[in-house]
Amino acid sequence: MICSDAFRATADAMAGVQGAPGYRYLTTPHPVAGLTPEQVRERAEAVADEVAKMLAGEGS
Amino acid sequence: MAGDTASPDPDLAREAIEYCYEHDWTDGLPVVPASQELLDRFLAQTSRDPDDVLWRMDHLDRECTVRTAAINAAMAGCLPEYFPIVLAAWDAVMRDRAAKGGGWQSTSGPAPLIVINGPIRSELGINSTGGIFAAGFRPNATIPRALGLMLRNAFGVVPHVFDQTTQGIPGRFAICFGENEEESPWEPLATETGLEPGINAVSCTLTRTYEFVDNRHTQDPEQLLNDFADTLSRTGSLIFRGQSAGVVFCPEHAQMLANAGYSKADVKDWFIEHVGRTEADLRRAGKDGVSEGGPAARSASELERAPADTFTRYFSARKDVPIIVAGARNAAISMVFRVFGEWSNTSVEIESAKTAVAATKGG
Repeated sequence: MICSDAFRATADAMAGVQGAPGYRYLTTPHPVAGLTPEQVRERAEAVADEVAKMLAGEGS
Repeated sequence: MAGDTASPDPDLAREAIEYCYEHDWTDGLPVVPASQELLDRFLAQTSRDPDDVLWRMDHLDRECTVRTAAINAAMAGCLPEYFPIVLAAWDAVMRDRAAKGGGWQSTSGPAPLIVINGPIRSELGINSTGGIFAAGFRPNATIPRALGLMLRNAFGVVPHVFDQTTQGIPGRFAICFGENEEESPWEPLATETGLEPGINAVSCTLTRTYEFVDNRHTQDPEQLLNDFADTLSRTGSLIFRGQSAGVVFCPEHAQMLANAGYSKADVKDWFIEHVGRTEADLRRAGKDGVSEGGPAARSASELERAPADTFTRYFSARKDVPIIVAGARNAAISMVFRVFGEWSNTSVEIESAKTAVAATKGG
């Protein structure tokens, strides 16, 4: 799960409501809506390592 | 205060109000502390079971029952007699696709627009003339506030958490008025949407902006309509291919158009034809692109998609242009509003207290 950092409070609250308080997710800087496809690719590259670590269960 | 039954103890009242603040049950203004006795008076106004679920938001795992709605209506300052209107307003707005789809939590912070038709307006003192968007009338102020408190206290949609509003609509939970049927040249809104004339009814949709049109300067209906079209055609709130927007006409504007031969449908058709922007305008605002598939969201297109003078109409059907008549007849000032998503184009009948009593006895 990746969301833009402006939505942290809502994401944390949703995790609680869904029975998973403290659920770990990654963030990318807000805003995202106006990015070009190239800029989205750069964002993806920036978090790729973190995604891999999270999927591998590291750092939890 | 012993022996003095005439004036309540203000310190006790304040203590109860502060208790509500401490429990985070308020929208920032003081609420009326609700007792069981007061709650019972609200519940006596409807034939619906107190445990009936008005609405459930699955993703938040929260729901609002008739009882919870009554508590919040009481806290909002409603009289018990307003409660059937609160219930009808909730039902009406939840017919709005956007309200069902998470619109209440939107960054736009949309405001419910609540319009009341029928004799209940005069019976309960619901303002439909001067100052419909302003303060000063108990039902107009407390009925929409009740919806806001229901969202907060029943569904837990509070600012900075599940309510993700960036700025929000001014007066977000304060927009409720009667249609000025007496000075409208056209059929009432609830009649237009299919209910019998004279029925007490509520129409409600989520809205995203309000802007008034002050035009006391022409006798020419086309000039007047063009002035409205300019405001209706703004690009600022345009985020999808098309949009829905309406007008709360003051009696003077409505009568001028009617006197020139325009029915309500004629006015809608005129707007459908003339409201929109050229490709050049949309490109200048970075909204000339429309995504393929999905919600048809607008964006800045890299390439020019159409000739600069191509005109894009915003409205596709009469239902996209709700028209209401309300306000005083003392000046030619009307309000343009934009619908947040898509109005259901329906009205909900308000249960009468007599029906409620009969149903309770019968059951």
